[in-house]
Amino acid sequence: MLTVITGGSASGKSAYAEDLVLSWGPAQRIYVATMYPFDRESEKRIVRHQKMRSGKGFQTVECYTGLEQIQVPPGSHVLLECMSNLAANEMFQESGAGENTVEAVMKGVCQLEKQASRLCVVTNEIFSDWQPYHTETKRYQKYLGEINCRMAQMAQQVVEVVYGIALYRKNTVETGAERGGNVL
Amino acid sequence: MELIIGGAYQGKWEYAKKLFPRAVWVSGENCTLEELLAAEGVYDFHNFLGRQMEQGADLEKLPELILEKNPGLVIVSDEVGYGVVPIDARDRAFREAVGRVCCELAARARRVHRVVCGIGTVIKDA
Repeated sequence: MLTVITGGSASGKSAYAEDLVLSWGPAQRIYVATMYPFDRESEKRIVRHQKMRSGKGFQTVECYTGLEQIQVPPGSHVLLECMSNLAANEMFQESGAGENTVEAVMKGVCQLEKQASRLCVVTNEIFSDWQPYHTETKRYQKYLGEINCRMAQMAQQVVEVVYGIALYRKNTVETGAERGGNVL
Repeated sequence: MELIIGGAYQGKWEYAKKLFPRAVWVSGENCTLEELLAAEGVYDFHNFLGRQMEQGADLEKLPELILEKNPGLVIVSDEVGYGVVPIDARDRAFREAVGRVCCELAARARRVHRVVCGIGTVIKDA
Protein backbone atom coordinates (compact mmCIF):
# COMPACT_ATOMS: atom_id res chain seq x y z
CA MET A 1 0.00 0.00 0.00
CA LEU A 2 1.27 3.44 -0.98
CA THR A 3 0.59 6.80 0.65
CA VAL A 4 1.91 9.94 -1.04
CA ILE A 5 2.36 13.04 1.06
CA THR A 6 2.88 16.35 -0.66
CA GLY A 7 2.96 20.03 0.27
CA GLY A 8 5.04 23.18 0.04
CA SER A 9 8.36 23.90 1.71
CA ALA A 10 8.20 23.94 5.51
CA SER A 11 4.54 22.92 5.46
CA GLY A 12 4.85 20.21 8.13
CA LYS A 13 4.91 17.29 5.65
CA SER A 14 7.64 15.33 7.43
CA ALA A 15 6.12 15.56 10.88
CA TYR A 16 2.78 14.45 9.48
CA ALA A 17 4.39 11.57 7.54
CA GLU A 18 6.24 10.31 10.61
CA ASP A 19 3.07 10.41 12.71
CA LEU A 20 1.20 8.55 9.99
CA VAL A 21 3.80 5.78 9.80
CA LEU A 22 3.76 5.45 13.62
CA SER A 23 -0.06 5.20 13.51
CA TRP A 24 0.31 2.12 11.29
CA GLY A 25 1.37 0.26 14.42
CA PRO A 26 4.35 -1.88 15.28
CA ALA A 27 6.55 -3.13 12.46
CA GLN A 28 10.13 -2.80 11.37
CA ARG A 29 10.36 0.85 10.33
CA ILE A 30 12.75 1.87 7.57
CA TYR A 31 13.52 5.47 6.69
CA VAL A 32 14.92 5.92 3.20
CA ALA A 33 16.89 9.18 3.35
CA THR A 34 17.58 10.83 0.01
CA MET A 35 19.11 14.19 0.87
CA TYR A 36 22.75 14.36 -0.14
CA PRO A 37 24.85 16.38 2.36
CA PHE A 38 26.50 18.65 -0.19
CA ASP A 39 26.81 21.78 1.98
CA ARG A 40 26.29 23.09 5.52
CA GLU A 41 22.66 23.99 4.91
CA SER A 42 21.75 20.48 3.79
CA GLU A 43 23.76 19.01 6.67
CA LYS A 44 21.77 21.15 9.11
CA ARG A 45 18.55 20.08 7.44
CA ILE A 46 19.54 16.42 7.73
CA VAL A 47 20.35 16.83 11.44
CA ARG A 48 16.97 18.53 11.99
CA HIS A 49 15.21 15.54 10.42
CA GLN A 50 17.33 13.05 12.35
CA LYS A 51 16.34 14.76 15.61
CA MET A 52 12.68 14.77 14.59
CA ARG A 53 12.56 11.05 14.02
CA SER A 54 14.88 9.94 16.81
CA GLY A 55 13.20 7.62 19.27
CA LYS A 56 10.51 6.67 16.74
CA GLY A 57 12.15 3.37 15.88
CA PHE A 58 13.28 4.11 12.34
CA GLN A 59 16.29 2.41 10.84
CA THR A 60 17.85 4.78 8.30
CA VAL A 61 18.91 3.64 4.85
CA GLU A 62 20.63 6.25 2.70
CA CYS A 63 19.76 6.32 -0.96
CA TYR A 64 20.92 9.18 -3.15
CA THR A 65 20.44 7.44 -6.49
CA GLY A 66 19.41 3.96 -7.68
CA LEU A 67 16.31 3.42 -5.55
CA GLU A 68 15.64 0.08 -7.24
CA GLN A 69 18.77 -1.36 -5.59
CA ILE A 70 17.32 -0.79 -2.12
CA GLN A 71 16.20 -3.87 -0.24
CA VAL A 72 13.86 -3.55 2.72
CA PRO A 73 12.63 -6.36 5.00
CA PRO A 74 9.35 -7.95 3.89
CA GLY A 75 6.42 -6.60 5.87
CA SER A 76 8.23 -3.45 6.95
CA HIS A 77 6.79 0.05 7.10
CA VAL A 78 8.85 2.34 4.90
CA LEU A 79 9.06 6.12 4.81
CA LEU A 80 10.91 7.63 1.86
CA GLU A 81 11.88 11.26 2.19
CA CYS A 82 12.04 13.22 0.02
CA MET A 83 11.19 12.50 -3.61
CA SER A 84 12.25 16.02 -4.66
CA ASN A 85 15.80 15.26 -3.52
CA LEU A 86 15.90 11.80 -5.08
CA ALA A 87 14.68 13.16 -8.43
CA ALA A 88 17.26 15.97 -8.32
CA ASN A 89 20.04 13.50 -7.46
CA GLU A 90 19.07 11.22 -10.34
CA MET A 91 19.00 14.17 -12.72
CA PHE A 92 22.11 16.03 -11.68
CA GLN A 93 24.52 13.58 -10.02
CA GLU A 94 27.04 11.70 -12.11
CA SER A 95 25.80 8.34 -10.89
CA GLY A 96 22.21 9.38 -11.61
CA ALA A 97 19.79 8.30 -14.31
CA GLY A 98 19.79 11.66 -16.11
CA GLU A 99 17.16 11.69 -18.83
CA ASN A 100 15.75 8.40 -17.55
CA THR A 101 15.04 9.81 -14.09
CA VAL A 102 11.27 9.31 -14.15
CA GLU A 103 11.49 5.66 -15.21
CA ALA A 104 14.31 4.87 -12.79
CA VAL A 105 12.52 6.44 -9.84
CA MET A 106 9.17 4.82 -10.62
CA LYS A 107 10.82 1.40 -10.95
CA GLY A 108 12.31 1.96 -7.50
CA VAL A 109 8.99 3.03 -5.98
CA CYS A 110 7.25 -0.06 -7.41
CA GLN A 111 10.00 -2.34 -6.06
CA LEU A 112 9.78 -0.78 -2.61
CA GLU A 113 6.01 -1.00 -2.53
CA LYS A 114 6.21 -4.73 -3.35
CA GLN A 115 8.70 -5.42 -0.56
CA ALA A 116 7.15 -3.28 2.17
CA SER A 117 3.75 -3.84 3.69
CA ARG A 118 3.21 -0.10 3.69
CA LEU A 119 5.13 2.63 1.94
CA CYS A 120 4.86 6.37 2.51
CA VAL A 121 6.61 8.73 0.10
CA VAL A 122 7.04 12.41 0.90
CA THR A 123 7.27 14.69 -2.10
CA ASN A 124 7.12 18.42 -2.69
CA GLU A 125 4.97 21.00 -4.43
CA ILE A 126 7.35 23.09 -6.51
CA PHE A 127 4.98 23.87 -9.33
CA SER A 128 2.80 26.81 -8.31
CA ASP A 129 5.05 29.74 -8.88
CA TRP A 130 6.57 31.41 -11.87
CA GLN A 131 10.05 32.73 -12.25
CA PRO A 132 12.24 32.83 -15.36
CA TYR A 133 13.60 29.38 -14.52
CA HIS A 134 16.50 27.84 -16.39
CA THR A 135 15.77 25.05 -18.87
CA GLU A 136 17.25 22.54 -16.43
CA THR A 137 14.99 23.73 -13.64
CA LYS A 138 11.93 23.45 -15.88
CA ARG A 139 13.00 19.93 -16.78
CA TYR A 140 13.30 19.16 -13.08
CA GLN A 141 9.74 20.42 -12.51
CA LYS A 142 8.55 18.30 -15.43
CA TYR A 143 10.21 15.14 -14.12
CA LEU A 144 9.06 15.59 -10.53
CA GLY A 145 5.55 16.52 -11.72
CA GLU A 146 5.40 13.31 -13.77
CA ILE A 147 6.68 11.25 -10.85
CA ASN A 148 4.08 12.78 -8.52
CA CYS A 149 1.23 12.14 -10.96
CA ARG A 150 2.31 8.54 -11.51
CA MET A 151 2.77 7.85 -7.80
CA ALA A 152 -0.65 9.38 -7.08
CA GLN A 153 -2.25 7.06 -9.64
CA MET A 154 -0.72 4.04 -7.91
CA ALA A 155 -1.40 5.31 -4.40
CA GLN A 156 -4.29 4.44 -2.13
CA GLN A 157 -3.88 7.74 -0.34
CA VAL A 158 -2.67 11.15 -1.48
CA VAL A 159 -2.41 13.79 1.21
CA GLU A 160 -1.58 17.48 0.81
CA VAL A 161 -0.26 18.95 4.06
CA VAL A 162 -0.92 22.67 4.58
CA TYR A 163 0.90 24.06 7.62
CA GLY A 164 0.48 20.78 9.43
CA ILE A 165 -3.15 20.25 8.37
CA ALA A 166 -3.79 17.15 6.25
CA LEU A 167 -6.06 17.52 3.23
CA TYR A 168 -6.82 14.10 1.73
CA ARG A 169 -6.86 14.41 -2.07
CA LYS A 170 -7.37 10.68 -2.56
CA ASN A 171 -8.30 7.98 -0.09
CA THR A 172 -9.42 4.54 -1.21
CA VAL A 173 -8.70 2.97 2.17
CA GLU A 174 -12.13 2.24 3.66
CA THR A 175 -11.11 1.95 7.30
CA GLY A 176 -7.85 1.19 8.99
CA ALA A 177 -9.45 -1.37 11.30
CA GLU A 178 -9.21 -4.51 9.15
CA ARG A 179 -5.56 -3.76 8.45
CA GLY A 180 -4.84 -3.44 12.12
CA GLY A 181 -3.94 0.23 11.90
CA ASN A 182 -5.57 3.61 12.00
CA VAL A 183 -5.96 6.01 9.16
CA LEU A 184 -5.24 9.50 10.39
CA MET B 1 -6.48 32.77 17.28
CA GLU B 2 -7.61 32.62 13.65
CA LEU B 3 -5.21 31.98 10.79
CA ILE B 4 -6.12 32.96 7.23
CA ILE B 5 -3.67 31.86 4.55
CA GLY B 6 -3.49 31.56 0.78
CA GLY B 7 -1.47 32.69 -2.22
CA ALA B 8 -0.68 36.34 -2.92
CA TYR B 9 -3.57 38.54 -4.17
CA GLN B 10 -6.26 35.97 -3.38
CA GLY B 11 -8.56 38.32 -1.46
CA LYS B 12 -7.49 37.03 1.94
CA TRP B 13 -7.81 40.35 3.76
CA GLU B 14 -11.19 41.10 2.14
CA TYR B 15 -12.36 37.68 3.29
CA ALA B 16 -11.01 38.36 6.78
CA LYS B 17 -12.73 41.76 6.98
CA LYS B 18 -16.06 40.17 6.10
CA LEU B 19 -15.59 37.56 8.82
CA PHE B 20 -14.43 40.10 11.38
CA PRO B 21 -16.05 43.41 10.35
CA ARG B 22 -15.28 45.23 13.59
CA ALA B 23 -11.65 44.23 13.94
CA VAL B 24 -8.97 46.92 14.08
CA TRP B 25 -6.10 45.93 11.80
CA VAL B 26 -2.39 46.56 11.67
CA SER B 27 -0.20 45.90 8.64
CA GLY B 28 2.67 43.44 8.71
CA GLU B 29 4.50 45.89 6.43
CA ASN B 30 5.11 48.38 9.21
CA CYS B 31 3.71 47.34 12.61
CA THR B 32 5.97 46.78 15.60
CA LEU B 33 5.88 43.63 17.70
CA GLU B 34 4.11 45.60 20.46
CA GLU B 35 1.45 46.79 18.00
CA LEU B 36 0.99 43.25 16.74
CA LEU B 37 0.54 41.94 20.26
CA ALA B 38 -2.12 44.62 20.93
CA ALA B 39 -3.97 44.40 17.58
CA GLU B 40 -7.19 42.57 16.78
CA GLY B 41 -6.00 41.63 13.31
CA VAL B 42 -2.80 41.68 11.26
CA TYR B 43 -2.58 41.39 7.48
CA ASP B 44 0.57 40.79 5.39
CA PHE B 45 1.88 38.87 8.40
CA HIS B 46 4.59 37.25 6.25
CA ASN B 47 6.11 40.71 5.77
CA PHE B 48 6.21 41.16 9.53
CA LEU B 49 8.20 37.91 9.70
CA GLY B 50 10.55 39.15 6.96
CA ARG B 51 11.24 42.37 8.87
CA GLN B 52 11.76 40.49 12.13
CA MET B 53 14.28 38.23 10.37
CA GLU B 54 16.22 41.21 9.06
CA GLN B 55 16.47 42.49 12.61
CA GLY B 56 17.80 39.12 13.72
CA ALA B 57 14.80 38.34 15.96
CA ASP B 58 14.25 34.81 17.26
CA LEU B 59 11.07 33.70 15.51
CA GLU B 60 10.89 30.35 17.28
CA LYS B 61 9.26 31.90 20.34
CA LEU B 62 6.86 34.13 18.40
CA PRO B 63 3.89 31.71 18.09
CA GLU B 64 3.89 31.05 21.83
CA LEU B 65 4.26 34.76 22.55
CA ILE B 66 1.25 35.63 20.37
CA LEU B 67 -0.82 32.92 22.01
CA GLU B 68 0.11 34.18 25.45
CA LYS B 69 -0.25 37.94 24.89
CA ASN B 70 -2.87 38.11 22.14
CA PRO B 71 -4.79 34.82 21.87
CA GLY B 72 -7.68 36.34 19.92
CA LEU B 73 -5.53 37.73 17.09
CA VAL B 74 -6.67 37.23 13.49
CA ILE B 75 -3.60 36.59 11.34
CA VAL B 76 -3.64 36.96 7.57
CA SER B 77 -0.52 35.64 5.85
CA ASP B 78 0.61 34.74 2.36
CA GLU B 79 1.17 31.01 1.98
CA VAL B 80 4.62 30.72 0.41
CA GLY B 81 6.80 27.78 -0.58
CA TYR B 82 4.90 26.26 -3.51
CA GLY B 83 7.56 27.02 -6.09
CA VAL B 84 11.08 25.83 -6.85
CA VAL B 85 13.45 26.40 -3.92
CA PRO B 86 15.15 29.78 -4.56
CA ILE B 87 18.87 30.06 -5.31
CA ASP B 88 19.39 32.92 -2.83
CA ALA B 89 20.02 31.67 0.71
CA ARG B 90 18.10 34.56 2.30
CA ASP B 91 15.07 33.86 0.13
CA ARG B 92 15.22 30.22 1.19
CA ALA B 93 15.48 31.17 4.85
CA PHE B 94 12.49 33.52 4.52
CA ARG B 95 10.10 30.94 3.07
CA GLU B 96 11.37 28.38 5.57
CA ALA B 97 10.65 30.80 8.46
CA VAL B 98 7.15 31.66 7.18
CA GLY B 99 6.40 27.95 6.90
CA ARG B 100 7.68 26.99 10.33
CA VAL B 101 5.94 29.87 12.10
CA CYS B 102 2.65 29.24 10.27
CA CYS B 103 2.81 25.50 11.13
CA GLU B 104 3.08 26.46 14.80
CA LEU B 105 0.31 29.04 14.51
CA ALA B 106 -1.94 26.59 12.65
CA ALA B 107 -1.44 24.02 15.41
CA ARG B 108 -2.55 26.58 18.01
CA ALA B 109 -5.28 28.34 15.98
CA ARG B 110 -8.95 27.75 16.67
CA ARG B 111 -9.63 27.89 12.95
CA VAL B 112 -7.47 27.91 9.83
CA HIS B 113 -8.90 29.27 6.57
CA ARG B 114 -7.33 28.87 3.15
CA VAL B 115 -8.39 31.40 0.52
CA VAL B 116 -8.23 30.75 -3.22
CA CYS B 117 -9.77 33.25 -5.69
CA GLY B 118 -11.40 35.05 -2.78
CA ILE B 119 -13.15 31.87 -1.63
CA GLY B 120 -12.26 30.69 1.82
CA THR B 121 -12.27 27.07 2.96
CA VAL B 122 -12.02 26.24 6.64
CA ILE B 123 -9.32 23.53 6.76
CA LYS B 124 -9.19 23.33 10.54
CA ASP B 125 -12.01 23.93 13.00
CA ALA B 126 -11.00 22.89 16.48
